[in-house]
This record gives sequence, C-alpha cells and structure tokens, in this order.
Amino acid sequence: MIPIAYNVRSLFVRKATTIATALGIGLVVFVLAASLMLGAGIKKTLVSGGRPDYALVLRKGSDTELASSIEVRTVSLVLAAPGVKKANDGAPVGSGELVVVITMEKPGTDGQVSNVQVRGISDNVLTLRPDVKVIEGRAPTPGTDEVMVGRGIVGRFTGVELGKSFELKKNRPVKVVGVFEAGGSSFESEIWADIDTVRSSFGREGLVSSVTVRLDSPSRFEAFKAVMETDKQLGLEAFREKDYYEKQSQGTSIFVWALGILITIFFSIGAMIGATITMNAAVAQRQREIGTLRALGFSRVSILFSFLLEAVVLAAIGGAFGLFGAFLLSFAEVSMMNFATFQEVTFGFDPNPVLLGAAFVFGAAMGVLGGFFPALRAASVSPVDAMRA
Amino acid sequence: MTQATNGTPMIRLEKVSKTFYRDKEALEVLKSIDLEIQEGAYEALMGPSGSGKSTLLNLIAGLDRPTSGKLTVAGADIGAMAEDQRARFRAANIGFVFQTYNLMPVLTARENVELPLLLAKLPADERRKRAEIALKVVGLEHRMDHLPRQLSGGQEQRVAIARAIVTDPKIIVADEPTGDLDRESANEILNLLERLNREFKKTIVMVTHDPAAAERAGTVRRLDKGNLV
Ligand SMILES: Nc1ncnc2c1ncn2[C@@H]1O[C@H](COP(=O)(O)OP(=O)(O)OP(=O)(O)O)[C@@H](O)[C@H]1O
Ligand SMILES: [Mg+2]
Repeated sequence: MIPIAYNVRSLFVRKATTIATALGIGLVVFVLAASLMLGAGIKKTLVSGGRPDYALVLRKGSDTELASSIEVRTVSLVLAAPGVKKANDGAPVGSGELVVVITMEKPGTDGQVSNVQVRGISDNVLTLRPDVKVIEGRAPTPGTDEVMVGRGIVGRFTGVELGKSFELKKNRPVKVVGVFEAGGSSFESEIWADIDTVRSSFGREGLVSSVTVRLDSPSRFEAFKAVMETDKQLGLEAFREKDYYEKQSQGTSIFVWALGILITIFFSIGAMIGATITMNAAVAQRQREIGTLRALGFSRVSILFSFLLEAVVLAAIGGAFGLFGAFLLSFAEVSMMNFATFQEVTFGFDPNPVLLGAAFVFGAAMGVLGGFFPALRAASVSPVDAMRA
Repeated sequence: MTQATNGTPMIRLEKVSKTFYRDKEALEVLKSIDLEIQEGAYEALMGPSGSGKSTLLNLIAGLDRPTSGKLTVAGADIGAMAEDQRARFRAANIGFVFQTYNLMPVLTARENVELPLLLAKLPADERRKRAEIALKVVGLEHRMDHLPRQLSGGQEQRVAIARAIVTDPKIIVADEPTGDLDRESANEILNLLERLNREFKKTIVMVTHDPAAAERAGTVRRLDKGNLV
C-alpha cells in the first residue's frame, strides 16, 4: 500500500488549504460535540436531583411541581403512608414544599429578566436532602425572611449574593444568608426560603406543591404508590424521584440535541464541500504523481484508498481541533431555560468520552464522504494521459 | 557496442497497431509493428516528435493496450491483460525511468526507492536494505535522506533509476531519460544504464532524441509516422 507518510506530508505541503479545510470540519465536530455534551450535561443536572429511594407526590395530572397544588392537611397522610422512612426520633423523613417561579433581573443587562424557581422549604430540609450542603454562610433561620441560594445562580441575578437582599415579591425583601450546593442538580439553580414566607408572599396559604418522602428502600415504592393512588378522593400521584427528574429533563435535552444536530447538518454540508474542493485540487495537482504510482504498479483501488485516507487524515486533524475546543467547554457553564419548569438552570457540558468519540467519528466520516469523489477521480487517472500532461 | 543478449526474445510485437480516438477522429499512431527485442538487449528508439515512440514504449511497458496485434513481454501476453493484471505485471517486470524523473516530492530518496517494494510483501527492514543497495548502485548512498528538491536533476534521475531497479525487474524502459539533463549528468545516466545492461543483464529500451545517447545502445531503431524504418 502507498505509505500514509505520503498523504500526511502532502497535506502539510499545502498547509494553508489543509488548515482552512480542517478548521471547517473542526467547527462541525465542535458544534456536534458541544450539543451532545450539553444535552448530556442537562440530563445529568436534572436527573442527578433524583434518588432511587425517594418518591415525589403531586396532584394527579400535574406534570410538574409548579403545576401541582396539594392541601396541607393531606401532607400528614402522605407522611404516614407505609414505606416512608422514619428518622431516629421517629419522625417521618419527608416534607411538603411549595414551588413558585419569579422573574429576576440579571445584573449588567438593561433590566433583562429571567425566571428563577423559589422553593419554600421546611425546617428538616437538610435531613430530607442529605446531598445539600451549605458551602457559604448558614442555613436560614426557620420562620424568618432569610433565604439561601443555590451556587449555580450566585451573581447571576441582582441581589443573589451572600449578604445581599432582594425582593421575593414587591415590598417583600429577603436576605441571602447562605449558599448551598446540591451535587450538581438543578436545586443549585433555586432560591430556598421558609415555606411560610413563600406562602404569605404569594397568597398560597394552606398549600404545598409537592411532598417528597424518603422510603425505607427503593423496593417499597410500588406499595407506597398504591396507597397514594387508591384513595381517589385525595387525587394524588406518586413518582419515583428519579423518573420524575428524568422526564423533566427530556424535553430540554432533546431540544438541545435536535438543535445541535440541525446546525451540525448545515455546517457539515459546507465542510464536506470544502473537503471535496480541497481534495479535488490535490488530485488535479498531483496527476503526474498518481500516474507514476500507477505505472509502478499500484492498483486503482490502492490509489482510491490512499486519497480517501488522505481525506480522513485531513478530517481527523479537523476533528482534533474540534474536540480540543469541545474539551475546553467542559470548563464552561451555560444558563438556559428548562422547558419543563420555565426556570433558568445552569448546565455544564458533560465531557462524556463516548459522545466526544462519536463527534470525532462523525468528522472522520465527513472526510470519507467529502473525499470520496476526488479519490474516485484519482483512481481513474490514466497513467498514460497523466505522463503526457 | 556489445550487448548481453542470449537469443531469446524478451519482447515480441506481431502486427501491433495503436489507434487513438479523439472526438470520433481516429489517429493511427502505430501501424502494424513487428518487432523482437532479445533478452539482455539494449535498444534505442529514435524518430521525429509525434512518430509514436512513447506510445510504443508504453505498450511494451504494459501501461497501455494495443488496438490490435499480439504483444508478448517477458513471456506474458500483456495485450490481452486487464488493467489490474497489467499493474501487477508492471510491478514485477518493468522498471520505469522518465524524462521528468517523477519522484514523489514529499518522500526522501530512500522512501522513493522503497515505494515499488511496498507492492511486494517484504518486511520493512528488508525493504530498507534493498533500497540502500539500489541507492549505492547509483552512487547516492550519502543522499538517502534528502528530498527530491534537495537534489540536482542528475541526482534525481539516479534516484529514479534506483527506484527502477530495486525490484530487480527484467526490463527497464526509459523515455528520454537524459532529455532534461546537461551533457555531464546525461553521461552519468548513460553510464549507469550501460552498467545495468552489462553487469545486471537488464533488457533496456530507451527512447531518445539524442544521437550521443543512442550511440550507447546496442541497436538503434527508428520510427517514422508509426512505422519502424
Ligand atoms: N493518449 C493519447 N490520446 C490521443 N492521442 C495521443 C495519445 N498519446 C499519443 N497521442 C498522439 O499520438 C502521436 C504519437 O505520440 P507519442 O507520444 O507516441 O509521440 P513521440 O514519438 O513520443 O513524440 P515526442 O518525441 O514528442 O515525445 C501524437 O500525435 C500524439 O498526439
Ligand atoms: Mg515521447
């Protein structure tokens, strides 16, 4: 076979063209990798809030916490259901929470606003959610107008900073006394305030949005769900917390993937045409070399293969650029709307090696497709004609 | 000039014609050529431009097929072979020397010479060894790692000759091998070809315009308008 060094060095002879073409392919690989990584990051963020031994109870028919509303007196019925774990003091591990969305101003913009989810929490929230840790300041004192904020939104909204105040509602200022982390889940994009503060601010007295409980074990869920849903009067529906978050993430991650793939397709057409033009020029320029190789006895197939390989090497150089860029993204975060909750959530790019590999393979495939017709042309060069030219 | 013939024909053309078609217009470039070249011969082919010299050489080398007639080279009926068969025939039997050297510009002298060996299934160190021997034969063992553009025209042609002999082919075809060279370099190349014929018993067919080059060959044949005269 024709040595690959021949192709690699030939690519380097035409440095400028090679780099320009490779960058085109690199851009495609970058866009594809970025959207796959972001989609995976979204899934990770939204799903990581869900644990297998937790259940979430909503009003029947409500797909989201935001759309659900349950009367407070029902909460104790849920907590008393079989399978709900008891703490050392005998109290059930679970609580009702009230979720609302408010619009807040982004600093440094001209009054641009975005949605933030506010969660009214009970005193035992840190027992209920052991993944949540206060990393700065302290937890708010129950029954006060103190709040803590997820680390994902610190500084992203006016007043959302340790020690600062902002208005939960007009004329209802609250003070940020703590910042918490929640294992990268979407809780990190929420504001947590005392449930009574949220109730009175938004006129939701006597209501919660959801009840979250910890079960004795994941296997108790079916029994728990059965109890919740037999009494039609209660009008409740129970979900495994994990399933709930998975469903929540689907719309957004699919949207990002679809958008990414759409952009990728558009870009890849351009990049492929670029690769075709570059490889066609290479073939035209090297007629005599091809003719000589044929004269020496290299077959048409080996010429075809050699130029295809050259196109793939070209694409792989581009793919490497693209992957490098995509890898840098894993240090970046984006803040965007979660369509299920209309809440702005901060997501990371998940540098999943399988996804990066897939994007790279896609880039290499563009080399094969873009280089195919030029390689076919190279293979059909007649050695006699090439020598006469 | 003596030649190392032993009486068996290495190349045999019987009524070989070649016609090119350009937009339905037929151009008969070779007209029923009968020719026999003995094993170990060193023959020069002369004639005016357009007389069909390169066309004839290409047929002998298995690069092209005759339109009619029978063409036997090194015992093979190459006139009847399909392209991929002829490619294997060329790799095994023919060494090419071109007027414009035709080295791969991105490969070093050694890599250029190794190129035809890649078609034979040889281990890398064996290829390397053979390439070095061939480069030694042409006196370029000290320029093995140079790229073609770092060599003079005469040196490039010597690398091309090393490439032509590295697979130890029976036949060397040379189309105006000294056409682009000054007198002194041309003489070096002609000395080398003569040595390949005498010492290594290669059958050589050389197309040339240069009477001084033709003089070195054992036989000079002339083509005129597609006929041997
Ligand atoms: N592949 C081809 N297609 C069409 N015409 C061709 C082809 N090859 C050669 N010819 C024509 O055949 C004739 C002989 O060409 P050839 O190259 O054999 O001549 P030559 O004797 O080698 O000439 P020169 O001394 O100029 O190299 C020319 O008229 C040429 O134009
Ligand atoms: Mg010619």
